[in-house]
Amino acid sequence: METPVFDFHTHAGRWGNSGVYDDIDTFVRIMDAAGVDRCNINCIFHSDVAHGNEVAASFAERRPDRFVGVAVISPLYPEEVVPQLERGFGELGLKSLKVYPNYYQKPIDDPGYFPAFEWCDDRGVTIMSHSSAGAGDEDLTEPRRFVPLAERYPNINWVLAHSGNSRVGQAQAVEAARAFPNIYLETCTSFGDHTTITDLVNGAGEDRVLFGSDMPLMDARNQVGRVVNADISTEAKRKVLGLNAIKLLGLD
Amino acid sequence: MFDANVALGRRHNRRVVSHTTEGLLDAMDKSGVERALVYSPFAEHFDTVDGNALLMEMIAGQPRLVPQFVANPATESLADFSAEVSRLGVRSVRIAPIPHSYPLTDWVAGPWLEWLESEGIPLSIPVDFVDVPQLHDTAKAHPKLAVILAEVHYRHVPWVIPLLRSVPNAYVEVSRFVIADGVARLMDAAGGERVLFGSRFPDSSMGHQIYNLHTNDLDDSTLAAVCAGNLDRLLGLEK
Repeated sequence: METPVFDFHTHAGRWGNSGVYDDIDTFVRIMDAAGVDRCNINCIFHSDVAHGNEVAASFAERRPDRFVGVAVISPLYPEEVVPQLERGFGELGLKSLKVYPNYYQKPIDDPGYFPAFEWCDDRGVTIMSHSSAGAGDEDLTEPRRFVPLAERYPNINWVLAHSGNSRVGQAQAVEAARAFPNIYLETCTSFGDHTTITDLVNGAGEDRVLFGSDMPLMDARNQVGRVVNADISTEAKRKVLGLNAIKLLGLD
Repeated sequence: MFDANVALGRRHNRRVVSHTTEGLLDAMDKSGVERALVYSPFAEHFDTVDGNALLMEMIAGQPRLVPQFVANPATESLADFSAEVSRLGVRSVRIAPIPHSYPLTDWVAGPWLEWLESEGIPLSIPVDFVDVPQLHDTAKAHPKLAVILAEVHYRHVPWVIPLLRSVPNAYVEVSRFVIADGVARLMDAAGGERVLFGSRFPDSSMGHQIYNLHTNDLDDSTLAAVCAGNLDRLLGLEK
C-alpha cells in the first residue's frame, strides 16, 4: 500500500529518568523503519515552555522534511500564554498546539487555557490534547469535557490524543466526535485492544481518525502496525495513516 | 546558616512561590541564610542531564548557591556523570529511586555508590523516594558513604530513629521534621554531628526550622554544626 504516512503525535526532549531519549538520528531511523514520512513534534515535558518550544522548533529546523514543530503552553503561567503562542507560531514556525492537562494538573476546561483557546479560535489553529478516561488517569481530560469546548471554539480542530485511552474513554471519544465535526481522534495508546482502531473508524468515521505514535515513548512500528492490521478498508487506512492529517494541517 | 535542601527552577505540575535565582536569594536574605545547596526539580522529575545543566546556568556567578546534582544510576552513564561532576566541582548528589523506578540495590546502583564513596561525595535521598529496607541495607553496605536522609517527616519516626541508630554513616536533614521535640529526638538518635538544617524551599519556608533549631537549647558548637558546619564538612567546604 503506497500512501503518505503522517504521525500526529511525537515528543522531543530527553526524559532520561524513564530511559526515553530524543536523539534525532534514532528518531528518523525508526520513522523510516515504520514507513512514517513526517511527524508533528512537541516538547511538552520541559517545565519551561519557552525552552520546550525551542527544542521542538530545532527538530523542524534540522529536518524540515521529517518534522513539523508543535507549540506547547502552560496554564500555570497564564500571563505567558499569548506571548508564547505569538513567538511559537511566529519566530519559531510552529504549526499547531499541544496541551497536556494531566501533566499540569489542570483540567482541559480550566480557564487558564482560555486565552490560548481564544487565540487559536481566532486563527483556526488545530489543538491536540491528551485525553483519557478509565485508564488510571484522573478525569482531567475525559473526552466528554471536550464537547462544550468544541461548541464554544468552533474554529479550532480538536484532536483527542489517545482517543480517550481505555475502552471507557474510547466510547466517550467516539460520542464526542459524533457530536461535533471539529473533534478528531488520534490513535496511539498502550491500552488499546485488537479492535480499537476498527471501533474508532466505524464509530467516528474514517475522515476523523488520525494516526499517532507517541514516539519515543512508544515505537512508531507498533502503532503503524495497529492501523495496517485493523479490519477497515484500504482507503480508510490511507486516510487514518496520513491523508486526514495532511488535509487537517494543510500540508503538501 | 547553610540550607541543605533547596529546589531551584520551575515545576511542571504547579506554580511555586519562587522559581528564580533572584527569588531564592531574596528569601535567603530575609531568613538570614548565607548559602544553600540547590538542585533542579526538573532533573528530579524528568531528566538529570538537562536538569543539572539548567541548574548550573541558573546559579552561574552566585557563590552562595552550591550545586547538588540529581543522578539516575538506572538510566544514565556513570562515566559521563562523574566527568561532569569532576569538571564542575560538584560536591553533592541526590537520587530518587522510586520516582525513577529502580530499587536502591547494589545490582543497580553499586558502581555509582562505590564511586561516591571513593570521591567522598555525600548522597541525599528524600525518604519518600526510597524503599526503607533497601535504604538501610545499602547505606549499611557502604560505610564510607555519607547518606543524608532528606525530608524526613513525623510519620517516618517509627523507622528513622532505629535507622539512625543502626547506620553510623546516615545523616538527617530536618526540613519536614516538625514533630514535638523532633530536634531532641534526632540529637538523641544521631548526635549533633549528623543533623543538618534544611528548608525544602520553596515548598516550605526557611524560617520555621531556623527558629526551631535556635530554641532547642543546643549548645553553641552543636547549633553551629547543625546550621552549617556539618554540611560544610560533608561537602569538604570547611575552612
